[in-house]
Amino acid sequence: MRSTPPWTSRIFSTLAAMVAAYRIGLASALTAWPVLLGRAIFYGVCLMVLVAFWDKVGAQRLAGTLAVRLPPGGLGVYIGVTEWVTLSVPAIQLRLEDDIRSGALEPHLLRPKPYLAQTIAGEAGGMTARLAMLAVAGLALLAISGRPWPAGLGLVYVGVLGVIGALIGVLLYTLVGLTAFWLRRVLPALLIMQKLMFLLGGLFAPISFYPGWLHDLAAASPFAAHLAFAGQEVLTPSISDFSRALAAQAAWLVALVLAAALIWRAGLAKLMKGG
Amino acid sequence: MGTISTYAAQSLAAVRTSFADRTNFALQVLGMSVNNGFWLVLWFLFFAGFREVGGWRLGDVARMLGVIYTLFGLATVFFGGYRDLGGAILRGEIDPLLTQPKPILPRLLARESIPSAWGDLLTGIAILSFSARLDLGGVGLVVAAIAIGMTAWLSTAVTFASMAFWFAGGRSLSRDLMDFTLMVSTYPASIYSGWVKIVAFTVLPAGFVAVAPVGLMRDPSWQAAALAVGGAVAYAALALTVFHLGLRWYRRGATPGS
Repeated sequence: MRSTPPWTSRIFSTLAAMVAAYRIGLASALTAWPVLLGRAIFYGVCLMVLVAFWDKVGAQRLAGTLAVRLPPGGLGVYIGVTEWVTLSVPAIQLRLEDDIRSGALEPHLLRPKPYLAQTIAGEAGGMTARLAMLAVAGLALLAISGRPWPAGLGLVYVGVLGVIGALIGVLLYTLVGLTAFWLRRVLPALLIMQKLMFLLGGLFAPISFYPGWLHDLAAASPFAAHLAFAGQEVLTPSISDFSRALAAQAAWLVALVLAAALIWRAGLAKLMKGG
Repeated sequence: MGTISTYAAQSLAAVRTSFADRTNFALQVLGMSVNNGFWLVLWFLFFAGFREVGGWRLGDVARMLGVIYTLFGLATVFFGGYRDLGGAILRGEIDPLLTQPKPILPRLLARESIPSAWGDLLTGIAILSFSARLDLGGVGLVVAAIAIGMTAWLSTAVTFASMAFWFAGGRSLSRDLMDFTLMVSTYPASIYSGWVKIVAFTVLPAGFVAVAPVGLMRDPSWQAAALAVGGAVAYAALALTVFHLGLRWYRRGATPGS
């Protein structure tokens, strides 16, 4: 009788722990349905304000400015997509900061299941519920608003790139949370990350409006993989852009998982050495 | 008087604690200053491309940012407990305060001072020194706008965080609501009309945190002063009511988040 190699069994055990954590995260989010509902209302309010801003800019159409390049329907749907992803990503950095600062992390280190993988999976479970709830809210708002729907398969592209983009967001916020090993508060790291999402992720304005060098820089960053690629599909949907975006997202997922693992190890080493 | 002196002693202790790790303090202040600089650069890029929004130009937005950074900095240095008030409720950190004779809310607010907020304070003052009118009357209006905006901001934070008395997810939602209120507060006031104006002066009171106080600075009048002060007082009353309702629920033994 052949026995399973220890590393294979470890991988299966880790995956099983992650699936269990994912299911708990999903169930917890669904149980707290009033909070989900509140988040959907919040999403609607966000859209109302941000769309009003861009509608005001678009209505002026000042000659010699970028306003003339705004799409005829405005940026309402683009904003809806980028905010859908942004508001679905859970605040995993808060949990990591709490556990690292308070020492609550230490009991987890004695257990055979990997803390970080389980935490990410649990938060991804909660994120699934948010993505679904906000998607329904977003589609309902789009129908009510009377704005044009994305052409062709645009909505499918947005769905796929948005979900993967949200996962990239969880990993980016995980990196922020792990800075708690060195900083007492992760707030500065969080705010810098958020501003990079605004600038390079296209949360402030589509990166296609940027000058060439800034557009290239943004497109090559994980922030575009997090937000801009999904948003861009409502402006100019195309299968070739979708395929390129998917490949870039896959590459960033791998890179961010590796980065999280490395930073986690470095943080643990610091914790073990100095407490 | 006892309440104020207890608050002041605890707040000063929190500020001193925040200075304890100097490297960490410097990193946080630097990080926040870079963050604020980023936001200003974003607006610079925006106005380079779009020139103006409803009559608001870069100088107007810079003045507003100066007020917001300064009020946010003051609130977070001296009342920093508001940042994670929802977390404190959920972790049961109110329990030891319930047995003590001093009012609970000021003690919760004074229990922490966030070092990075000094970065906000410094950038806010720096921006105002370049963009605001700094004669005696101008400085008076700036100080009034900051005091009014800070009252509205802290009141909003307490109101949102009090959701944690009833829902475990209230902590995360209140953080998102505050972050969004802050972000909306940095948009030009000229975008507010119709429903958006109603929202900005009710659900997400960016109107009372930024629009009304900055409006008082831009165009001082008794009406503008009444709107700004009235809004801040109304929000303070709402915050106290919601917090004490939550506290009453908590005293009954209801587990936070149940």
